[in-house]
Amino acid sequence: MAGPGLRGWRLSTRSAETSSTIFLILRRMRAPLIVLITIFAVSVLGLTLIPGRDEAGHAVRMGFFDAFYFMSYTATTIGYGEIPQPFTGGQRLWVMATIYLTVVGWAYAIGSLLTLLQDRAFRQALALQRFTRTVARLREPFLLIVGYGQTGQLLGRSLDAIGRRFVVLDVSGERVDVLDIDSYHADVPGLAADAGDPHTLGVAGLGHPRCEGVLALTDDDEVNLVVAMTAALLRPGLPVIARTVSPAIEQRMRAFGSPAVVNPFDRFGDHLRVALRSPASYQLMSWLESGPGADLPDRGRPPTAGRWVICGYGRFGRKLAEDLRAEGLEITVIDVRPDAAGGPGIVGDASEPAVMARAELDRAVGFVAGTDNDTTNLSLIAAARRINPALFIASRQNRPASAPLFAAMDTDRLLVPAETVAREIYAQLSTPLLWRFLQDMPARGDDWAAGIIGRLTRLCGPRLGSVWKVELTGRDAPALEPYLGAGDATVGGLLRHPQDRDRSLAAVPLLLHRDSGTVLGPDGDVTLEPGDQLLLAGRPSARRALLDTMTHHAVSEYVLTGRTVPSGWLWQRVTGKVPRRPAS
Amino acid sequence: MSLEKVIFGFFVLLAATLNFGFFIGDLSDPSLHNVYELFAAVVVSLIATVLKFGDRTQIGAVHLATSLVADLQLIAAALVWGYATQISSTGLDGAAMASVVSLSGGALLANLVSVVLLVIETVSFHRR
Repeated sequence: MAGPGLRGWRLSTRSAETSSTIFLILRRMRAPLIVLITIFAVSVLGLTLIPGRDEAGHAVRMGFFDAFYFMSYTATTIGYGEIPQPFTGGQRLWVMATIYLTVVGWAYAIGSLLTLLQDRAFRQALALQRFTRTVARLREPFLLIVGYGQTGQLLGRSLDAIGRRFVVLDVSGERVDVLDIDSYHADVPGLAADAGDPHTLGVAGLGHPRCEGVLALTDDDEVNLVVAMTAALLRPGLPVIARTVSPAIEQRMRAFGSPAVVNPFDRFGDHLRVALRSPASYQLMSWLESGPGADLPDRGRPPTAGRWVICGYGRFGRKLAEDLRAEGLEITVIDVRPDAAGGPGIVGDASEPAVMARAELDRAVGFVAGTDNDTTNLSLIAAARRINPALFIASRQNRPASAPLFAAMDTDRLLVPAETVAREIYAQLSTPLLWRFLQDMPARGDDWAAGIIGRLTRLCGPRLGSVWKVELTGRDAPALEPYLGAGDATVGGLLRHPQDRDRSLAAVPLLLHRDSGTVLGPDGDVTLEPGDQLLLAGRPSARRALLDTMTHHAVSEYVLTGRTVPSGWLWQRVTGKVPRRPAS
Repeated sequence: MSLEKVIFGFFVLLAATLNFGFFIGDLSDPSLHNVYELFAAVVVSLIATVLKFGDRTQIGAVHLATSLVADLQLIAAALVWGYATQISSTGLDGAAMASVVSLSGGALLANLVSVVLLVIETVSFHRR
């Protein structure tokens, strides 16, 4: 993957960063040091040239040794007095001048050094050097997060919670400073720099062999594009996940490699379509996406027939209108800009009662407050509710600070772009199989999803336990190897309880992945093969029990065949009951 | 022509010439070696060293190294001179003077290397 050219590129960036600080100091200290040397030289020379007088009254000149000694303690303001003999008037005149000269020289040199330490460029050089060193020393796989805004912080916290390492790059120094305040388990290197510069990305570990992915999460679509592009060109094959709200940028990103592009507006529309078409699928999707400990969300049923009113026809409104029209719903658009409102739209400020009245909300079924201003959105919702309390309300929350207001408004659907992106990316990174399940699941229809929800609530209650993946390989499941090879293990057989095999474990298999294909919600009689990956949802206790079955030969023997064998070697030999071993 | 190059060349050459001036003459004869010349050689050599700070090129690094060698030798010579005049019971005799001058001779070699480097740098600059 990393060719020789790339390695060279990485090394050159590293050596350049490490030595720059010391060169900066040396270069800046040139003038003060030369001034100091010159002042000392002139003072010492003057002292040796001006004649003094010894006790006998003879004229003697001071030697270099005495002169240098005298200047050293005078210049540093220590002052031991006049040696070897009391000075003459001429000598005192010269010393007076040199005292002021040397003090100025020292003050200049020390002042320059202190200024240098305070200097922004110098501090940046120091920070860059420390960052470069920390990144270069990373010995475990890490992700490169570009853009540490709301999305980046949300994602960073979740990734840290599951023990993933990452490096942060953001253009704003304040956001990088947040890293020091956030209590992360792992040390997170952060740098405030322009991510649009490939060199910066290289310093942040793009060329690092342990870099396992790049996340472009800045607010600026252009920067995200540049990051995706740089990663695709310099590290082909490295997974890239990029956030964008513009379909045009999405197209341009896809021109380079195959980045996973997350468009929150697009996702919201897709989710709404899933919710319209099959409420149970949407319910299951949002339940699994919410993570462990989440309660089963309500199966809110958006109105599938009738007219929707969309306020704000920007990128979000446009995308949503497209999705709703595709579902066969009637749309009325309100926007201030005449060109944006489109054909059947109403031009005007929706917060004006007259404009709102033209939308005939009393005969509509759904209302979307989709402007990019939270205050406007909130007042639009309030106005719409007053006209027609039965409306299904969807809204867009732009700023994190508005969260409590929207929560108090109790909208039926709320888009928080940062959270949507963070949740999507987290699902992709933490459990790729879950991500796959969520992608394919809506196609199976409403009844199927309702069935899965039914099984999950029956087995584990209305609270999601954990969602985890098992790999049926020799490394992870050594006790299952003999059965997998012979084709004697089924999904249902595996999910029996190790203490009583007539009971089944409190876990539901969501997805079975093997090289030949993927099975959603595999039935109990599906035969397992070596190398299969299984995605399960259920109680944490079921997870531990399954781990026993996978690693313990006596347990797997009992769970899969019903034969009870002793677990110790001695008793196995004494009773002659030995668990099945791999054929080889 | 850049002023920086003029000053740089001036100090490098001056360090070498002062050093040479002090070094030349019978090793052990104190009357042939002026102590003011040694003082000037030390000061100019120190200034030349500071001027070489912060150059990131390979030739700049070697420049700095030769200057540091010259400083070391000259300061050692000055220390020997100080010891001989102030502490030693025999004073500045022929043996002490010989060691001062021979130490400065070592510095002269380093300064000559510096001058050679300067010439090489100049020539290769023109060839480009």
